[in-house]
Amino acid sequence: MTISWLQAALLGLFACLSSMPGMGGSSIGNYTLGRPLIGGFFCGLILGDIKNGILGGCAMQGGYIALVTPGGTVSADVRAVSYIGIPLAMVALKSYGLEATSVEGAALATSFGAMVGTLGTVLFYGTATVNLAWQHIGWQAVEKRDYHKLYVVDMVLPWISHFICSFIPTLIMCKMGTSVVELIKTTLPMDGIAMKTLFTVGSLLPCVGIAILLKQIVKQVTDFIPYLFGFTLAASMGINLVSATVIAGMFAVINYKIKMLSVSKAAAVDGWDDEEEEI
Amino acid sequence: MEKKISKKALLKSFHNWFYGHLTCFSQEHMQTFGYLCSMLPLVEDLYEDEEDKAKAMNTYTAFFNTEPQLGTLIVGITAGLEEARAGGTEDVDDETINGLRAGLMGPIAGIGDSLVVGTVIPILLGIAMGMSTGGSPLGAIFYILVWNLFAYFGMKFLYFKGYSLGTKAVEFLIGAQGDAIRESVSILGGMVIGAVSATWVSVSTSLQLLNEAGEPYLVLQDKLNEVFPGLLTAVFVIVCWFLMAKKQMSPIKVMLLLVVVAFVGVLVGFFNPGLVY
Repeated sequence: MTISWLQAALLGLFACLSSMPGMGGSSIGNYTLGRPLIGGFFCGLILGDIKNGILGGCAMQGGYIALVTPGGTVSADVRAVSYIGIPLAMVALKSYGLEATSVEGAALATSFGAMVGTLGTVLFYGTATVNLAWQHIGWQAVEKRDYHKLYVVDMVLPWISHFICSFIPTLIMCKMGTSVVELIKTTLPMDGIAMKTLFTVGSLLPCVGIAILLKQIVKQVTDFIPYLFGFTLAASMGINLVSATVIAGMFAVINYKIKMLSVSKAAAVDGWDDEEEEI
Repeated sequence: MEKKISKKALLKSFHNWFYGHLTCFSQEHMQTFGYLCSMLPLVEDLYEDEEDKAKAMNTYTAFFNTEPQLGTLIVGITAGLEEARAGGTEDVDDETINGLRAGLMGPIAGIGDSLVVGTVIPILLGIAMGMSTGGSPLGAIFYILVWNLFAYFGMKFLYFKGYSLGTKAVEFLIGAQGDAIRESVSILGGMVIGAVSATWVSVSTSLQLLNEAGEPYLVLQDKLNEVFPGLLTAVFVIVCWFLMAKKQMSPIKVMLLLVVVAFVGVLVGFFNPGLVY
C-alpha cells in the first residue's frame, strides 16, 4: 500500500484545517477533524479503506481522549497524530501484515501516534510563530485604521503558515511513508539528548499556558492559595475536574455571601451614624 | 440617544468569532485578532464617525485569551457594552470593558477547559468510539454531527445571552456587589485552574542518587511527592507566572528559557522522559 501525491496532498489539506490554530476554526477544525477518531475516518476515505482508518483512529484516540490545551499550550499536536500518524500506521500495518484490531496492531498504531504527535508540537509552535508576521501586518492596519485588512490577517494569511507548517510536512511524511519513521528512529533515538529534550520541553510548556491564565487572577501572593487549593484537590486527593469545579463553586458562593454580608452591614452602620448625628 | 446593533451585524460578529477566534493564533497575542474581527461588524454598525470607530476598535487591541467555546459569553457581553457605550451610557468606558474582559477570561478558561474540553468532548468521543468498534464509520459521523450542533448552537446561545446581559453585567460587576462577584469568580477560576494543572500538566524529575551497590537510596521525585504531590509542576507554574507578571517577560521568552532548562536538565540527568519506541 502506497500513498499517491494526490492522497498525500489531501491529507495535507486536512492537516491545515485541523490543527490547534487551524484553518477550520476550532469547533469544526481542531475539535472535530483533529480528533484521531474523526481523522481516522477521513484518512480512511482518502486512502480508500474506511474500516482500517477508523480502527487506527480508535486506537490512537484512546491516548488523546481528554487532550486539553491549557491556556493554548500544546503537548501533543493533533494534525500530526491524525493526518501523519494514522496514514503511516495504516501503511505500516499493511506492510507488516498486522490487523488493526490485534493487540500488536493497536500498540503499533498508538506508538506511531505518540511519536508524530510529540514531534508535531514543533509544527504547532512553528505555525504560531509564523503567525506573528501576519499579526505585525495587523497592528499596522489598526494604526492606519484600515480595519478590513484584519479579516485578511485573521482568516487568509495564516494559510501561508499552514502551507509551511502543516501542508508540506504532511505531504512529505505521508509520501515517504514508513521509511521516514525508520529514519527518525535511527537518527533521533529516544535515549538521545535531542528527543529527551523535546519530550521534556513538551511536559514543561503547558506551565506557561497555566501561568498566562494565572496572570489574570493572581495579583498578590495570597491569591495563589485558591490555585494551590485546587491543585491539592486534584493532585493529593485525586478529585476529578468536574467535582473540583463543584467544590470551587461552593467556595465562591460562600465568599460571595460573606462579602455581601459585609456590604449590607456597612450600609446599615452608615445609616446608624446618620441617625445619631440627627439626634 | 438609544442605539441598537442590527441583527445582521450581531450574527456576522458571532460567526467571525465562531470561525476566526483562533485562526491567527500566536503565543504573543493569542485570540486578540479573532476578537478584533468579531467586534469589527458591531463597531461599523454602531459608529459613523471614523474617530469613534478608531476609539472603539482600540479598546479591543488588549490581549485576550480564554476557552473559546464558553468564552463566547464574554464576546456577547462586550457586544452589549459597546452598544451601551455608543448610546452614551456613562459608566461604560475602555476601563470597564477591558476590566471585565480581563477579569472573566481566566475563570472562564479554567471552567471551559474542564467542562467543555475535559468533559463534554471526552464523553462524546467515548460514545463514538463505542459505536465505531469493529471499524464502523457510524461513531465518527455521530460525533461530527452531535458535537458541531452542540458547539454551534451552544455558542450562539451564549453569545446572545451575553449580549442581552450587556450593561446588566456591568451593573452587576461594578460597585461593592461587583467586587464581591469578581473576587468570588476569581477564587472559583483559581481553584479550577489549579485542578486543571494538577490533572493535565506533569513535570517530574528522574534524578536519583545511587549507593555503591548501584541501588537508589534517594529518589528525588518520591521525596518531593512526600512534601506535596505535584510539587515540581506547581513550582514551574509559579516560576513562569513570576517571570511574566513580575519580570514582564514575554511568553515566548519564557518558553525559550524552558527549552534551555529542559536541555540542561536532560544533560545533568534531572529530566528523563524515559520513553522508548
